[in-house]
Amino acid sequence: MQENDHSIVRAVLAGDKEAYGALVRAHSGSIFRVAFRMMGNEADAEEIVQEAFLRGYQRLESFQQRASFGTWVYRIAVNCALDRIQRPGIEAEYRAGDENDPEEKTVQIETQDADPERSLLSREIGAVQERAMRRLTPTEKAAFVMRHHEDRSVNEIAEVLGVAPNAAKNAVFRAVQKLRRELAPLRGMA
Amino acid sequence: MKHLSEEELVELYYGEGEGAASAHVKACRECAAQYAELKQSLDGMSLAEVPQRDAQYGERVWQALEPRLIPYEKKARGWFGWGWSGWTGWKAGTLALGCAMLLAAAFVGGRYWARITTKTDNTAGNKNPQTTTQPTVVVVLTEHLDRTERLLVALEHADSQDHVENAQLQSDARELLASNRLYRTTATHAKDPALAGALDRLEGVLAEIANNPNLTAEDLQRVRSEMNTQGILFEIRVLRTRKTDQGNKTNQGRGASI
Repeated sequence: MQENDHSIVRAVLAGDKEAYGALVRAHSGSIFRVAFRMMGNEADAEEIVQEAFLRGYQRLESFQQRASFGTWVYRIAVNCALDRIQRPGIEAEYRAGDENDPEEKTVQIETQDADPERSLLSREIGAVQERAMRRLTPTEKAAFVMRHHEDRSVNEIAEVLGVAPNAAKNAVFRAVQKLRRELAPLRGMA
Repeated sequence: MKHLSEEELVELYYGEGEGAASAHVKACRECAAQYAELKQSLDGMSLAEVPQRDAQYGERVWQALEPRLIPYEKKARGWFGWGWSGWTGWKAGTLALGCAMLLAAAFVGGRYWARITTKTDNTAGNKNPQTTTQPTVVVVLTEHLDRTERLLVALEHADSQDHVENAQLQSDARELLASNRLYRTTATHAKDPALAGALDRLEGVLAEIANNPNLTAEDLQRVRSEMNTQGILFEIRVLRTRKTDQGNKTNQGRGASI
């Protein structure tokens, strides 16, 4: 797969634009997944996917043939998401949260229970979790999403964020600490 | 017994602190309780399910993206099939070194030839040593100034989007840089401050272009404005005219210095 990706990259750089389509088709699913987890909604996630592949194409000459294209474009996508979250207007909206509309960017906890009371409780917990996530800094959120949901190692997170492994580990730890503090009142409810 | 810190417990949860930390949690009731609490909090942290994309999703992304992409230009092939993309490493170095050696050989050969000719002329009764000094050098230097002038003109009109043209510019700059150093040193020794100064300023421009790993539009603009390449171009033109005149005079039997 990796060798195939490399030969496609060489073809694209030799002028075969259409060849890039194969890379987009192969990796857009995984890029959408991390973009959705970072942004929390489909519309933003789809824009991140487009932007990541566009930036990837424009920077293809800097792609090192010893790296994996999937990891490389994943890193671009995470950075696109971080850029977007860090835009002043968006960050303010993101950090302040919308406490009156907890369902806008839904965070749910799994429930097989059809009990309305249980379902309500579950939605409430989801909203608190979402608010807690919004209080993380963009880097903490990216580090937590990659560690907790994407199961990426600390070294991979460090590489994606362009920081030292210790800094990546600290970002994950700070995120966990903040989330636990925010979610402490819910302990025992779920 | 030293208890595990919260950080160590988090590492253990993500499978990084296994071994001693894991054994400790098994043995220590207090740490085991804290770990269980941490595990419960983190296990409960599940974001919304990622919406499934159908099999055509990648194709749709590509269809939306494709019109926005400009095809990369086909790489020009150099001598022996070398592509411009490979010119950043040893190939460019080898070529630059080869050119420098060739120029040095021409320079030394010129001096040697001049000495022989002078000796012959002296033997023949010509008392003016300046008469035959370094005509070859003047010719080689004029050629260097010619090439430099072409490079500076290309730099003035460089289109940053043209990767092949930029690679060519950079490759030429590398070649000229090596020979320029040689001429500058010689001009300094020959006490020709005008030429030495111009070659010195030129060397700065050549080094900027040659040593930049990713030549961008901003870099080209910065070199043009900060290093006053137009001024240098003018100086080079004047010097070239002067040297050409000297060369002509030398050919007519008059002396010339570098």
